[in-house]
Amino acid sequence: MKSKFLRYLLMGLFVVGILVVTGCSDNSDTAGSDSGDSGSEQTDESSEERMHLRVFAPTFTTEPPTDDSPVLKKIEDYTNKKITMEWAPNSNIDDKFNITLSSGDLPHVMMVPGKSPSFVSAVEDGAFWELGSYLEEYPNLSQANEIIMNNSSINGDIYGIPRTRDLGRNGVIIRKDWLENLSLEKPETIDDFYNMLKAFSEEDPDGNGTDDTYGMVVSKYEGPWDVMQTWFGVPNKWGEDESGELYPFFMDDNYLESLNFFKKLYDEGLVNDDFAVMDPAQWSDPVISGEAGVQVNVLDEGHRIQEKIIDANPDNADPITVIKTVEGPTGLHNLPTSGYSGMLSVSKTSVKSEEELKQVLDFLDKMNDEEAQKLAENGIEGKHYEKVDGEYQSKVKDDPALQAEVDGFNQMLMYIPEAKSIKPDSSPLRELETQLKVENEDIVVANPAESYISEVYSKKGQQLDNIILDARIKYIVGQIDEAGLEDAVERWKSSGGTEYIEEINQLHQDAQ
Amino acid sequence: MENVHENKINSVGQQKKSKWSQILKEKWLYFMILPGLAYFIIFKYVPMWGIIIAFQDYSPFLGVWQSQWVGLEHFQYFFSNPDFLRLLRNTFILALYDLVFFFPAPIILSLMLNEIRLSAYKRTLQTFVYVPHFMSWVIIASISYVFLTTGGGLVNDLIARFIGTEVNFLSSPEWFRPMIIGQIIWKETGWGTVIFLAALASVDQEQYEAAIVDGAGRFRRLWHVTLPGLRSTIVILLILRLGNFLDTGFQQIYLMSNSLNRSVADVFDTYVYFVGITEGAFSYSTAVGLFKSIVGIVLIVGADRFAKKLGQSGLF
Repeated sequence: MKSKFLRYLLMGLFVVGILVVTGCSDNSDTAGSDSGDSGSEQTDESSEERMHLRVFAPTFTTEPPTDDSPVLKKIEDYTNKKITMEWAPNSNIDDKFNITLSSGDLPHVMMVPGKSPSFVSAVEDGAFWELGSYLEEYPNLSQANEIIMNNSSINGDIYGIPRTRDLGRNGVIIRKDWLENLSLEKPETIDDFYNMLKAFSEEDPDGNGTDDTYGMVVSKYEGPWDVMQTWFGVPNKWGEDESGELYPFFMDDNYLESLNFFKKLYDEGLVNDDFAVMDPAQWSDPVISGEAGVQVNVLDEGHRIQEKIIDANPDNADPITVIKTVEGPTGLHNLPTSGYSGMLSVSKTSVKSEEELKQVLDFLDKMNDEEAQKLAENGIEGKHYEKVDGEYQSKVKDDPALQAEVDGFNQMLMYIPEAKSIKPDSSPLRELETQLKVENEDIVVANPAESYISEVYSKKGQQLDNIILDARIKYIVGQIDEAGLEDAVERWKSSGGTEYIEEINQLHQDAQ
Repeated sequence: MENVHENKINSVGQQKKSKWSQILKEKWLYFMILPGLAYFIIFKYVPMWGIIIAFQDYSPFLGVWQSQWVGLEHFQYFFSNPDFLRLLRNTFILALYDLVFFFPAPIILSLMLNEIRLSAYKRTLQTFVYVPHFMSWVIIASISYVFLTTGGGLVNDLIARFIGTEVNFLSSPEWFRPMIIGQIIWKETGWGTVIFLAALASVDQEQYEAAIVDGAGRFRRLWHVTLPGLRSTIVILLILRLGNFLDTGFQQIYLMSNSLNRSVADVFDTYVYFVGITEGAFSYSTAVGLFKSIVGIVLIVGADRFAKKLGQSGLF
């Protein structure tokens, strides 16, 4: 009796086991065939002849729009394509990109986060189309900014349409109410800048009678140091000497001077002393809460900070102002951004023929049209936004469900030749930010080596960068002195830096 | 005696046959192994052949089949790399600290818990010491930041009040290792008591009674009854721990490292991440990971042999 029961039990278990195993293999089979012929198979009547495009894009929200979003339907109608979005969280987009690469099944259009070694090697292995020769046929794509195109190219070849951004986005965000309390002017030179930080730290700019403020907030993110050193005339990553040779920025004569300035700020307590460990996500908090008066960041953070200050204290109606840069010993300089944030590349595994490529490029081109930009960024008029007396009013702000239909499609936008979507009402501060971005373009320091792909750097870049960047932080906080700085440079050279310089110069000569 | 002898003769002749017939007889029992076997083959052994890319110049797009074969090049590069010694040193010191300071902690705590008489109190306490285990490293890193940062951190405020100066826990290389070990002790000690408490429950109560009759006090009983009862558990856990000796916990180290303490914070795990995932050098980082696993195997087998030499029961 007992043994019989046991036997049935065992048989039952075994059957379940088999089912699990075969069930798994079945699933993977169907999944495989699904993705295999998804390009040709269309059940949707209205889109019978539409080309099916899979698009890999980052999402900043946990709930990106689904494929039945009405906005996506409109975009599909406008571009005459059938689109499936493949979202990946922006926080680990690099990992997701690499994993997608290694899966061998690349979506038609891929957002490439940057010119990472894995992207470059995939390009060398023929994973993506070279687009340079096709672009002139398309009304929008042909008008792309040449500097940005060059920056995003691989040694001059274009393997992706850059998602263009303002080149002159960097600036300085200042608490305007503090300036007014101390009757200071906006700083124009580095000395002014220093005096302002000093006053913000020591002269009680918020007028509450206690010594609870400091000058500038910096976080673990090292961007502000990069920006500020260009004020002193330090080149952007690579400088060019009289004979046309390229040299890395930290070998510039002005580099030490800029570091000494940073060190002075740190020693005198004008910068938060925990900057080397501060979480970048909290970077703006001290400015909002009135602990720090200055932040060197992208200009558009200015109005975000402003809105949060006003939210907390409506009486403080105009607390923020921005400037583009301050004048150093060699004039006005600012650090540009690369001018793009990732690019949209077309994979050769999904897009097999030139005809298909032209269809994809047609899609990318159309995404730059005004209507497509509005759809992807603002949504559908009347549903996601409306115009009241010609003024734009977003309706998604207080409606998460509605927001989830739009939020994220702007990741497919390249803004070539320019952004045409509707911007929310502009405040004086936003207008100032926009104006400064344009002015910045005249004073930004270009990186002559931006498009060069160095083999040494792709292998050891992270370690090389860390040697120099860590030394910079250590020098600022006083862990090492000038001799330690020189040691770091020597270590950089011996860890592959010397070959790196040679390689970059070789590429530079070839490009001339 | 004779009976045993006979059996032996029989079994030599029929060994092969009887083995199969026995399996056939118990076939349903053996069938039960299949799901487990399938699990290990599909999810553990098959993926293992992926380490082949450590010997290739792997490009994700070309895949394993088309990538170029380079043999031991990545290993040579790794061992001759100036970073190698630094990584080895940092990893070893952290692992050693972990072994010396963290490994005994759960033992001590479970001995202490074991001495509590009021069982309701003991149970409540046990539950509370488990809690930190369920917090993620991100949360613990944030808590550490709030407590330890200079200029407003709770601990540093206290220290400044007593000594006058603040201590740079988060950004000084000297404090990095103590801080890491401290976090591990805080997070994992309670959880680590589970196994020891289970082992303690199986210690024969009669031994305690006998010891009491012999006039042994609390510490005598602890020393002569409880600890020997735990010995084999401790040895086995130690051997298992040695197997992951070089696993320093990527998340924790990654979250706590910064430009100022990187000289001591760079370990194999973070190196593999930076080089492999963020720079896309998959082959190279696989080679580094493989090296780490080999060290793990050597340590685990070595420790097992050593334990057996000392007369303890080992793992295999």
